[in-house]
Amino acid sequence: MSQDAPGAETDTAEGTEIEAPEIGAPETEAPETEAPETEAPDTEGAEEAEVERACPACGETAIPGSRFCEACGTALDAPPAATAEPVAGEDRTHTFVLPQQEEGQDAADPAAAPVDTADQAGASVAQVCGQCGGTIAADGYCEQCGAPAVRERDHWVEQPSEWVGGVCDRGIRHRRNEDAMALSADPQPGGVAVLVVCDGVTTARDSDVASLAAARAACDVLTGQRPGDAERAARIQAWTGTLTAAAEAAHRAVIVAVDAPAPSQGRAAAQAAASSPPSCTFVAAVVDGDLGMVGWLGDSRAYWLPDEGDAVQVSADDSWAGVRIAMGMDREEAESSPQAHAITRWLGPDNLDHQPQCASVALDSAGWLLVCSDGMWNYCSPAGALRELVRTTVAATGSVPADVAAGLVAWANGQGGHDNVTVAMARVQAGSEGKGVG
Amino acid sequence: MAEFAVEVFQNEFLADGATDVHAVVRTTVSGAGSAGRSGSGDAAEIIIIDTSGSMAGEKISAARRAAAVAVDQILDGTWFAVIGGTEVATRAFPFPNAELSIVRMEPGARAAARTAIGMMEADGGTAIGSWLRLADELFAKAPSATQRHAILLTDGKNQHETRSELASAVAAVRGSFQCDCRGVGADWDVAELRLIATDLLGSLELLREPRQLAGDFQALMQAAMNRGVADVALRVWAPQGAQVLFVKQVSPTLEDLTARRTSVNPLTGSYPTGAWKDETRDYQVAVRLPAKPVGAEQLAARVQLAVGDEVVANGLIKAMWSDDEQLTTRINPEVAHYTGQAELAQVIQEGLAAKAAGDDETATAKLGRAVQIATQSGNDEVTAKLRKVVEVDDAEGGTVRLKRDVAKLDEMDLDVSSTKTTRVRR
Repeated sequence: MSQDAPGAETDTAEGTEIEAPEIGAPETEAPETEAPETEAPDTEGAEEAEVERACPACGETAIPGSRFCEACGTALDAPPAATAEPVAGEDRTHTFVLPQQEEGQDAADPAAAPVDTADQAGASVAQVCGQCGGTIAADGYCEQCGAPAVRERDHWVEQPSEWVGGVCDRGIRHRRNEDAMALSADPQPGGVAVLVVCDGVTTARDSDVASLAAARAACDVLTGQRPGDAERAARIQAWTGTLTAAAEAAHRAVIVAVDAPAPSQGRAAAQAAASSPPSCTFVAAVVDGDLGMVGWLGDSRAYWLPDEGDAVQVSADDSWAGVRIAMGMDREEAESSPQAHAITRWLGPDNLDHQPQCASVALDSAGWLLVCSDGMWNYCSPAGALRELVRTTVAATGSVPADVAAGLVAWANGQGGHDNVTVAMARVQAGSEGKGVG
Repeated sequence: MAEFAVEVFQNEFLADGATDVHAVVRTTVSGAGSAGRSGSGDAAEIIIIDTSGSMAGEKISAARRAAAVAVDQILDGTWFAVIGGTEVATRAFPFPNAELSIVRMEPGARAAARTAIGMMEADGGTAIGSWLRLADELFAKAPSATQRHAILLTDGKNQHETRSELASAVAAVRGSFQCDCRGVGADWDVAELRLIATDLLGSLELLREPRQLAGDFQALMQAAMNRGVADVALRVWAPQGAQVLFVKQVSPTLEDLTARRTSVNPLTGSYPTGAWKDETRDYQVAVRLPAKPVGAEQLAARVQLAVGDEVVANGLIKAMWSDDEQLTTRINPEVAHYTGQAELAQVIQEGLAAKAAGDDETATAKLGRAVQIATQSGNDEVTAKLRKVVEVDDAEGGTVRLKRDVAKLDEMDLDVSSTKTTRVRR
């Protein structure tokens, strides 16, 4: 279902059930080798996956790979270099813990923020306002401009490596951030990077929990896989199998994370769960040298945006609009239809078909592999337009991926921010790591 | 120990493009204790009695009784003095030849003060500004007294001073002490005493008959003695770029505090509210914010109670922009009610002024509107007083006719009562 844009090679491997024997069981604990030491010297060694960095200002546990404290915004690596130091992609699940949602828990409860490892002591320490840089008072609002403190689940940045980064943001209109992302990357550009974005379905309860669980589960499956120097076709086959396994893991994570109420918990709860069980979209992109692989369910997208040549949308939406576009309807017409966003496939207990569509793309020149939720592409859908937007954004923000992603998210919010916005990007170098074109 | 509470009533949802946030802030003090007993300083009381010639007869004897009853209420240890006022102010107690100009209450002083009060005679003119200045001088002789309160009684206009002389005297003593004002009979000027009571954080009442004085003074002094929390201020923080449109006390009476702001820091203003007993006061705060996009949330104001420099209670006024009309068009009942009560006070005062100026058409319209609001909001006291000034044809519709030959006392009574508000009916 992918678009065959001229100049971009895309292969669809839809519904393939490829056993990939060289890809073993997912290694969730895959310590990065030769992780450059960027942490404070008193940490217990970068080799340890469990290493936690504490913010020097507020003591909040830092998200691995982040350059600024999510709680207070203080720079974690001083001085903040123009190009970020590569940071080992530690296992984020150790510091970025999923909240255990309890029955009846208010979604706005601060406890629903992803980090609950930090104790409340952080609340008594001054936080920095995300809007004006002022101090957040004990009442949770800025002392200068009155903006509310940003909850971690509402906005966070990941930058597992200098060439990969992303921003996940609540946007303006929605009261909850049901988007999620999970990223990992080799330290050196040209290696392997994994970018997963899941967009929770707003009408379903606890979709923010579901999407985060899904994204992380998929990322864990994909991280650390090395198809090796096999031929291109074999690598595509191997990645297709892994993407399928990742979607399967994400699907299971949704079900486990949300733990749909059993019939014994009351008819009303069971009915509510049955009518709108938590669910989310899924898109995972892998950069493997000059090969890009994408798997998806729903309408979160992956684009390949080469600096030169034609930009292309690698994924093809599982949505009413996507189906119509595939059938030949004009994109603008299809995407402006009222049903445009009705997705036809997703992850969640009410959808048993969680086999992702998969496609590959040749990353044969310098460019960006970009993965995003519809909160981004709603404002800039065509691949060519998106590449221009990235180009102008880079001119303003510089080329650090997390900064570019932040610029794009800010731009989407400037357009109205009607939905949650997530943008994750990997920078592909020209002629990177020719592993042999198959 | 005194306890403090702040509760905010508002609709935080703003429509797209809307900028103004209104909220009612309910502040409550409990466990206030007694004046001068909190450890933060002594209390001081001065009773100021008009002894001008017009007071002669029933009024001065009633005033003497009332002053004596008030003295009986003053707790031992409280600094006190009594002033008699004509075109000059005279210290009645401590006796003019006494060495000390203000003394602490104790049984001997109480008996001596009663004797001194009994010797007060009515003879002379009226210069209220000079009375206030003398009170200020006497309070200054008791530097340990940080909580200072006076009762001022008059029966006439301030004939021996210009309005600006009175205003400058009020300005000179503002912040030094609180002053409850009482007018007896129909010959005093409501606007004049209102100026004093408002600026000096006191109440204003009209007493129709001299015999009402003693009971009123007793209640006044008891209330003063129950004000165990001195120097309370309302603080309002508004964000950078915002504008505080107004800060009003809206219950139990209406007082616009906006102009009384002193700066705590560039974003926070402090509005003095005087000493508190166990009581609840409501304030209305309006803040204008730069409009934000739909979905945005921010704090519009922090409202705090402060005792001295210490913040003792906090309330948050919020703003959330929404495109849900069901949310944004909802009007908070407290805000609506007090907005109505403020209009009620305004139309009564404007209606009476128009009536005095012979503009019956304006007076009829304004007072008709007043009847409408007072009826709808259940303000029975004001409704009753309005009915002495106008014939009501249709209370709900606000159709009235001006009464002929209205007693001046009834008009003054209505004027004085115009700022008394009721709470929201639940």
